[in-house]
Amino acid sequence: MILTSANLVFIVTLTIMPFLLIGVIKKIKACFQNRVGPPVFQSLYNLVKLFNKDEILSKDCSWIFRSGPLISFSGMLLLCLSVPWLPLQPPVPGCDIFLFVYVLALIRFFSIISSIDAGSPFSSFAASREATLSFLAEPAFVLALVALGISAHSSDLALIFGQPIENNRIPLSVWFFSGLALFLSGIVELSRMPIDDPSTHLELTMVHEAMVIENSGPNLALVEWSYALKLLLFFGLIAQCFVYSLSKIIALPPLLLPLSVLVVMLALGCLTAMIESFSVKLSWGKNPDFIAYAVSMSLLSSLAAFAMNGGS
Amino acid sequence: MMNEVNLLTVTAAVFAIMMSGSGQSRTNLLLYAMQTFFIALACLAQAEAKGSPELYTVVIGIIVIKVLTVPYFLSWLANKIEARSDPGAFLPIPLTMHVSILLFALSHFLALGLPLFKGIGSVASDATGAISLLLTGMLFMLTRRFALGQIIGFLTLENGIFLFAVTQTKGMPFIIEMGILLDVLVAVMIGGLFVFRIQKSFEHIDVTQLNGLKE
Repeated sequence: MILTSANLVFIVTLTIMPFLLIGVIKKIKACFQNRVGPPVFQSLYNLVKLFNKDEILSKDCSWIFRSGPLISFSGMLLLCLSVPWLPLQPPVPGCDIFLFVYVLALIRFFSIISSIDAGSPFSSFAASREATLSFLAEPAFVLALVALGISAHSSDLALIFGQPIENNRIPLSVWFFSGLALFLSGIVELSRMPIDDPSTHLELTMVHEAMVIENSGPNLALVEWSYALKLLLFFGLIAQCFVYSLSKIIALPPLLLPLSVLVVMLALGCLTAMIESFSVKLSWGKNPDFIAYAVSMSLLSSLAAFAMNGGS
Repeated sequence: MMNEVNLLTVTAAVFAIMMSGSGQSRTNLLLYAMQTFFIALACLAQAEAKGSPELYTVVIGIIVIKVLTVPYFLSWLANKIEARSDPGAFLPIPLTMHVSILLFALSHFLALGLPLFKGIGSVASDATGAISLLLTGMLFMLTRRFALGQIIGFLTLENGIFLFAVTQTKGMPFIIEMGILLDVLVAVMIGGLFVFRIQKSFEHIDVTQLNGLKE
């Protein structure tokens, strides 16, 4: 890994941006509820506080419970360094679509078994829900990325995303529909509002929050940090889809590209906060109807990819 | 050549597909209005390209009747008879949406095989959008339980036929275009009246149960 200026930008944004995104979402939600809300970097302060706390473990826990957050954090860090979530070449090259998807699945597997290992009925219940949701949402996510891969004639993420605008030959409709599909499945994967309410631990809404209910201290800090990194990763990819489809209509100067992706990421944060303020949580039985829209968008995107590929 | 896609017609078809994925009557009507609005825009583009003043009048007619009046009337009706959410028949509603995407793909291949009018812009993608609207409307009529869904499906089908006629010909006579618009308005009014009467007589508008009526 060589320290070029692109890598430096990558790493500096990697340290600041996840906390900024979470802070912006919380701040805007607070504005809609007429509250002042926490400071923008509150999740960073929480992280420092949690790392200095003691950890309480259930006496029935095995090593799996301790290793779950470690595996998810290290996996997320690996993905964040190798997936081009900014339109620059990532510091660690060679991340394939399928490597990305399977590392995410590995992380999910370990977070599920570590929450079952804690032995709490709450967290095992949430783990089964998480498994169901990811099973439903994964086809949409994979298909959207594969549609981009078909148009780019490569499954290397650095060749799909993270490219200069001139040699970008993926058509507008594929970018746009993949962006929509990634956003809708991202809502599911990040357990945001119409699927899961991230601000409560209530029985009705518990998916992600209840899964990590047994974690405390540094363990919880790692869980929250890896959640923030996952948010960054997804929002980065979605924002790039929308920025590239915009660049097919309006000519963007190449230097402005990373900056506009950052702006669109913050705008996506605002959008998520607005969805969370105005929508109600779907009942559990209605979730497949919502996810069906994500699958449809990715089907449309792969259809466009096939149709356009024949002609060009 | 294939990269030339008329975004307006394809967007209308995508709105129709999204419409077939929701069971809520009001969402269906909203998406129907969006779809018809994009068809009006496509018609406007045709009017500019062909330079025909009659088509501008047709665009205004579409926006007034099909984008504003009909969805408003039908959502008033849906509220009145409390038909808010359709449970769907024969096929679950999310699957209907996926099937209509497959029909979209099918209409792409159908449109490539047609002997197309060599006219303005990207005729093949216009035909794709039109055929896909037609098939989606038909599927919508087949898979809905409520009589209201049959009306919306019929209107989508009609949108498809209209779009095909506008994009694939040199233009129909003005009086026919306006006559069709008036027909649609009258059909919706009569359909609405029928739905209302069915609701009054049977206290439901479930068309699958109407089979039992035959003696």
